[in-house]
Amino acid sequence: MALETLPARPRPSKRSWGLKPFWFAVLAVYSYTLWLMLEITLQYIPIRNDAAFLAIKQDYVHLLHYRIAFFVHVFSAIFVLLAAYTQFSRRIRTRYKSVHKQLGRLYAYVTIFLAGPSGLIIGLYANGGLGSRIAFCLLAVLWVAFTLMGLVRMQQGKLQAHIHWMIRSYSLALSAITLRAWKVLIVAMFHPRPMDAYRIVAWLGWVLNLVLAELLILWLLRRKARKSAPKPATLKPTTLPEVANP
Amino acid sequence: MRFLPVQSLTRPPVLAILVAALSLLNACAPASDESASSGEAATRAESAQQALSKDLAKDSALAAEPAARVAAVPAAQPLSSHYGYYVGMFYAEESDYKKNPMAANKINVSIDAIQGSQIKGHSVVAGNSRPFSGSISPAGTGKYKVVAKEPGNDPYDGVFTFTLDTGKKTVIGTWSANDKQLAVTKRSYELEKKSFKYDPNLALDNYTVEVYSPNMSDADHRAEGITKDAGKYNASLRALKSGEVENMYRRDLEVMRNAIYARHGYSFQNREMRVFFDNYVSWYIPVSIDVTKQLTPIEKQNIELLKRYEKHAATYYDRFGR
Repeated sequence: MALETLPARPRPSKRSWGLKPFWFAVLAVYSYTLWLMLEITLQYIPIRNDAAFLAIKQDYVHLLHYRIAFFVHVFSAIFVLLAAYTQFSRRIRTRYKSVHKQLGRLYAYVTIFLAGPSGLIIGLYANGGLGSRIAFCLLAVLWVAFTLMGLVRMQQGKLQAHIHWMIRSYSLALSAITLRAWKVLIVAMFHPRPMDAYRIVAWLGWVLNLVLAELLILWLLRRKARKSAPKPATLKPTTLPEVANP
Repeated sequence: MRFLPVQSLTRPPVLAILVAALSLLNACAPASDESASSGEAATRAESAQQALSKDLAKDSALAAEPAARVAAVPAAQPLSSHYGYYVGMFYAEESDYKKNPMAANKINVSIDAIQGSQIKGHSVVAGNSRPFSGSISPAGTGKYKVVAKEPGNDPYDGVFTFTLDTGKKTVIGTWSANDKQLAVTKRSYELEKKSFKYDPNLALDNYTVEVYSPNMSDADHRAEGITKDAGKYNASLRALKSGEVENMYRRDLEVMRNAIYARHGYSFQNREMRVFFDNYVSWYIPVSIDVTKQLTPIEKQNIELLKRYEKHAATYYDRFGR
């Protein structure tokens, strides 16, 4: 059976932004949420002990290590979210490798030394009881661990592993946005009590992200397997070998 | 106290001196609306009268002259025993529905002083405390008819017309506004005498109440019901902890905080709180328009805690954020 190379699927052309329209839309939505995150961060300037979220953390705000961890987390975490603009773009990864490298290192160091550990400390004092505390502490530990693995694999030159770990790491970083988005949705739909909603989004905000990350990694692996498998087009049309002497 | 016959006027000079002395005594009594000092003036007049009746012979007279401002009490019970708070609902009888009238508020009509045919008091309703004064006259056994005017310098002032039934201890009547352009121009009431005492143990019953904001487009208050959580803790009894209040709806926190004020007899200007406490809290009596000086340290601490969580819920409950 002759299997010729299938004609290439018509794909939308890249516009002048260097992006396909779908991804442009995704980045636009993402930029809006980053704007909301910036608004939240700005509420903590000037530094006060009762601003915004701290209003309901008055039981812990007198603890120095809590205050330090809280403000380190608030002011460092937002930079981590900027990674989306540079670290996943094929153009930057191929043409501007050093940008990807430098900003990637920045993401990794901010996560491993600032945003992650501070998240762990404030997670120990999370609202909503033991369940939320476990959720946030686990999130912090996994986030640092995945980022570290991604960094190490890059240093070892294992590109695929680097990609996979960084996808996991970033999916957890993204939980900052998904947690808050879920909260808005759940409150609008079910009108639960505040801490009941919080206990749900403490888990929902990142576990689902990690599940989707794993699915994405599986899909990438499968795609790679398909690409490196012998292509149908290289098989010659099968013909019966000539029989020399019937 | 014996009622002395009018006609026999013996020893006029002594009588004239004693009457003059009594008039002087009454003139010195401080004129105020405070029931305490009015009570004192009344008791002073009474004791002076008793002294007079003892001094004079039984034929001497104490003329009930209008000039002598001594309370001429026809009944055996002194009228000061009828001073106090008469509490009930203040119903709208004539109103303009286009002006968003309030159908009913809880009112406290307080009778503070009765002197002769003059009555003085004040009413507390919907965050307002206004004095009134007017005339009181007998209208049957143990009943008195009262027509009392509020000063008139406030746009919501009007005239109270009621019957005070000292046997049943009720005040029943109507009120009409001076300004006929108000949302409600006539109200009626049937009030019972009640005594007010601050009691930190007064609790809210555990019921679910829907209290809707009259302005449905106000996103902070729209259709927020009061749940049983509001009656869970008594914020006047002990200091509350964050863990107890952090999982409560904003409306329940608001009710818990305002219950502190309600126990002190605060009269609410806030419409939603007023509707709730007037109609659903049986022990609530509006007594004062400012109770901040009477708050206990525990209450002040709880108010601060509840206000913080209320404010946080109002701002962040349904917004993108934690």
